[in-house]
Amino acid sequence: MNYPVWEVAFGAGLLMALVAILHVFVSHFAVGGGLFLVVTERRARRKNDLALLEWLKAHTRFFVLVTVVFGAISGVGIWFTIGLIGPTATSNLIHAYVWGWAIEWVFFFVEITAALLYLYGWDKLEGRLHEWYGWVYFIAAFASMVIINGIITFMLTSGSWVKNHRFWMGFFNPTCFPSLAFRFAIALALAGIYALITASVQRDAALKARLVRWAAWWIVPSLAVLPGLGWWYIRWIPAEVWADARGAMPTATQFAWFAVLLLAVTFALALLALARPGRVRLAFSLLVALAALGAMGSFEFVRESIRKPYVISNYLYANSLYAATIPGDGGFSVDEVNAAGILQSAKWVRNRDLAKSDPAAVGREIFRLECESCHTLDAYRGVKHYLALRQWDQNKTQVMLGSLEFMHNGVMPPFAGSNAERGALAAYLSTVQPVPGAAAAEAGDGRTVFEQNCSMCHRLSAGGPLFKDLPQDPSAAGKALKDLTSLFPLMPDLKLPERQRLALAQWINTQRSAKGSGSATQGGNGK
Amino acid sequence: MMPPNVIPAVDPNPLPAPYWVFKLLLLVTFFLHIVAMNFLLGGGVLALLSKWRSRNREGGNRLFLDVAKRLPVLLPATITLGIAPLLFVQVLYGQFFYTSSILMAWPWFLVLVLLTIAYYGFYYASYRGGRPGGRAGEVMLLSVILIFLVGFLFSNNLTLSQTPSRWAGKYFADPAGWNLNLAEPALFPRFLHFFTAAVAVGGLFLVFVALANWKRDQEYARQILQFGGKAFMYATMAQFVVGIVFLVSLPRDQRMLFMGDNPLATILLLIGVAGGGGGIFLMSDALRKENLRAAAFLVPGILAVVIACMSVMRDLLRDAYLKPYFHPGQFAVQTQWSVLPLFLVLFLAGVILWLGMLKRYGLLGSK
Repeated sequence: MNYPVWEVAFGAGLLMALVAILHVFVSHFAVGGGLFLVVTERRARRKNDLALLEWLKAHTRFFVLVTVVFGAISGVGIWFTIGLIGPTATSNLIHAYVWGWAIEWVFFFVEITAALLYLYGWDKLEGRLHEWYGWVYFIAAFASMVIINGIITFMLTSGSWVKNHRFWMGFFNPTCFPSLAFRFAIALALAGIYALITASVQRDAALKARLVRWAAWWIVPSLAVLPGLGWWYIRWIPAEVWADARGAMPTATQFAWFAVLLLAVTFALALLALARPGRVRLAFSLLVALAALGAMGSFEFVRESIRKPYVISNYLYANSLYAATIPGDGGFSVDEVNAAGILQSAKWVRNRDLAKSDPAAVGREIFRLECESCHTLDAYRGVKHYLALRQWDQNKTQVMLGSLEFMHNGVMPPFAGSNAERGALAAYLSTVQPVPGAAAAEAGDGRTVFEQNCSMCHRLSAGGPLFKDLPQDPSAAGKALKDLTSLFPLMPDLKLPERQRLALAQWINTQRSAKGSGSATQGGNGK
Repeated sequence: MMPPNVIPAVDPNPLPAPYWVFKLLLLVTFFLHIVAMNFLLGGGVLALLSKWRSRNREGGNRLFLDVAKRLPVLLPATITLGIAPLLFVQVLYGQFFYTSSILMAWPWFLVLVLLTIAYYGFYYASYRGGRPGGRAGEVMLLSVILIFLVGFLFSNNLTLSQTPSRWAGKYFADPAGWNLNLAEPALFPRFLHFFTAAVAVGGLFLVFVALANWKRDQEYARQILQFGGKAFMYATMAQFVVGIVFLVSLPRDQRMLFMGDNPLATILLLIGVAGGGGGIFLMSDALRKENLRAAAFLVPGILAVVIACMSVMRDLLRDAYLKPYFHPGQFAVQTQWSVLPLFLVLFLAGVILWLGMLKRYGLLGSK
C-alpha cells in the first residue's frame, strides 16, 4: 500500500515462481558446470583424450549459451520481477545489502568475462592457460553463489538481524551454510545432468558411453548426499516454520513430497544411465533434466511457501506490511495500520471515505492492497475457491478475517485495518462468491461443520484443544461452543446455530475415539 | 496536480554509505553501461546498413560479419554494466523507480523477453553469418530492433519515474500494468537523442574495428574507417537538431537549468556542444588525412568527456524533475564499515584480475 500493487490476473506469485525456477535451474548449472568444465578439461588433457576435448569444446558453447545468455538475463529478470511484485521487500533488501549485491556484481563481472574468454579461448590458448580461465570462472561463479545464498537464506531465517540490523548477522544466518552446501550439491548434479544432454547426441557410440558414464558420476554422488544435506538444512529451520511442510500447509507439504519423489526419480534415472551408458538418447536425457527441474522447482516452492506469511522472516509480511513498528516504516506496520485504518494509511487508494462509498468497491481496493500479493480472485490461490469450500456468508467472512494469522499454521499475515474496513473487504468477497446467510448455516453433518468453520486453524490431534479441552458430553460441548471468545480470547466470535454445534461436538467425539491416540490426521485445508 | 502522498516512503534501512558515494557509483557505472550500449546498438545498426547499402560489395558484408561476431560479447557487457547502475538507482531513487516500473509492469517485464530473443539472435548471426544461404542479416535486424525497443521501454520507465504527477491517473486507469508514458512530450525527443548518440558512438566503434584490422588488411580497414567516421559525423550533426528538440521539449524550469539557471548544467551543455562540434571537425580532418591516431584516440577521448558531461546532465535533469519530492537529506546514513572496505578491496582485485584476464588473452596488445 506504500507502493501500487500490480494486478496480475493469473497470479503474481506464479509469474515470480516461473522466472525464479527457470533461473535457479540455470544458475546452479552455471556454478557446477564451471567446475565440470575445468575438471573434465584437465582429465582430457592428462589422458590426451582428443575426442573428449572436442566434445567439451562443443559443450562449452552450449554452456555459455545457456548460462551466460539465459542465466544472466533471467537473473536480472528476478530483480525486475521482485521489484514489480514486492517493491517494499526489494527496497529493504537493496538498502540493507547493497554492498553484498555490489560484491556479487564484481564476481559476476569477472565470471561473465572469464566464461566468454574460456569459450573463445578454445582455439587460441594453450591448455594450461585455458584451464586458468576456467578456474577463474568457477571460483567467481561459486563466490557469487555464496553471496546470493547468504541473502536468500537471510529472508527465510533472518536470525538476529531483526534486532540489530547488522549486515553479517543477517548474512551468516542459521541456514546460510546448510543451504550453501545443499545448493552446491545441486549445482554439481546439474553439471552432470546438462552434460548428459550434450553427451546423448553424440554419434560415436564408444565416446557417448564414456561421456554418459562421466556425466552420471557427477549426478549420482551429488544426489546421494543431498538427503543428508537437506536434513542438515531442515534442522536449522525453526520447527514451527518447517511444520508447514509437514502437513500444516497443504501445498507446501505436497511440494515437499514432490521434491523428494522427483529427486528419487532423477537419482534412479541417473543410475540407469550409469548402468546402460550407451543407450542414453536425447529424450532420456531431457527426461532426467525435466525430473531435476521438477525436483528443484518443488524445493524452491517449499522454501518460498514455508517463509510465509513473511517475505523477510519476522520482519516484513508478504503483503509489504512490517511485522512490528519500527522507525522509518512510513506507518506501514500492522499496528499502525490497525490504528489509522487502511484507507488513511495507504497511498494507492481511491476511495478514502467508507461512509461515502460503496463498501464492496472499497473492499475491492482493500483486497488489492492486502491480499493480492499472494491471492487472485479465481486463478492461482484464488479466494473464490476457498470461499466456496467454506461456504461463508458475508458476516462469517468478516468474523473470520479477524483470525487470518491463525489459519493454516499462520501462513497469512493478520488483517490490518479497522473493523469497518474488514466489513468492506467481507462485502467485496461476498460479491466474489455469494453465499446467502441461510446456506452458511445449512450444513448438518459434523464433519462439514468442522471443515467449514474450524479446520483452517484446528487439527485433530491427541494433544490439541479439540480433544483435550472440549467436554465429551455433546450437549455440554455444544454449550461450550456457543461463545468461542470466552473459550479462548483469540477465537473468532462465531455464532453457530445449536444444531451445528451439536453435530460438531458429536463428530469430534467419533474422531476422538477413532484417532484420539493418533497424531495429526486432518490437514489445514479440510479436504 | 497530484496529492504528494502517492510518493512511497523509503524503507527503514539507512543508506549504508554517504549519499555521494552512491551518486558517484551510479554516474560512473551508468557511463560505462551507456558506452557499451552505444557500441552494441550503434554498431549493430551500422553493420546492417553496411550490409544492405552495398549488397554486392565484398567489404560491406565483411564489415557486417566483423561486427556481428563482436555483438554476442557487447550484449552481455551492456547487461552486466547495466546491472550496477540499476542497483544504485534503486538505492537512491527506488521509490520512484519501483513505482513507475509497476505502472508499466508488463512492458517492463517484456524487456527480459526481448533481451533474451535479441541475445540468441546475435549469437545466431555471429555463428551463421559466414555461411552462405543463412538469414544472418534478417535475424540481426530483428535483434537490433528488439534492442531499440528495449531502449524505448527504458526511456518510458525513466521519464515516468521522474513525473509522479502522472502516476495516480495511470495506475487507477489500469492497475494491471499496461501503461507506457507516451503522453510525455519529452519522451520521443529524449529517446531519439539517445538513439542518435548510439549511432554516433557506434561509428567510433567501427573506427576501433578499423584500427584492429589496420595491419592485416589496410584496404578493408580504410573502408571501415571512412564508413564509421562518417557515421559518427553525420549522427553528431543530426544530434544538434535532435538535442535542440529535446531541450525545447523539456518543461520550462528544467530547460532553463541548461540555459543559465544552473551554472554547472549550463557549462556541461556548452562542453557537450563544443565537444560534439570539435569531434566532427577533428574526425573530418582525420578522415581526409587518414590520421588513424586522431580518429581512434583523440576523437573518442573527446567523446568520452562529452558522454561523461551528458551523464551528469541527465542526472541533474532527473533531480530537477524530482525536486518537489526528493531531497538527499531524506536519507538516514549509517555507513556499513564492516562491509564497505571488503567491497572496495574486492572491487580493486576484480579490476586487476579482469585486466589480467584480458592481458593474458592478448587483448591488451602486449602479447
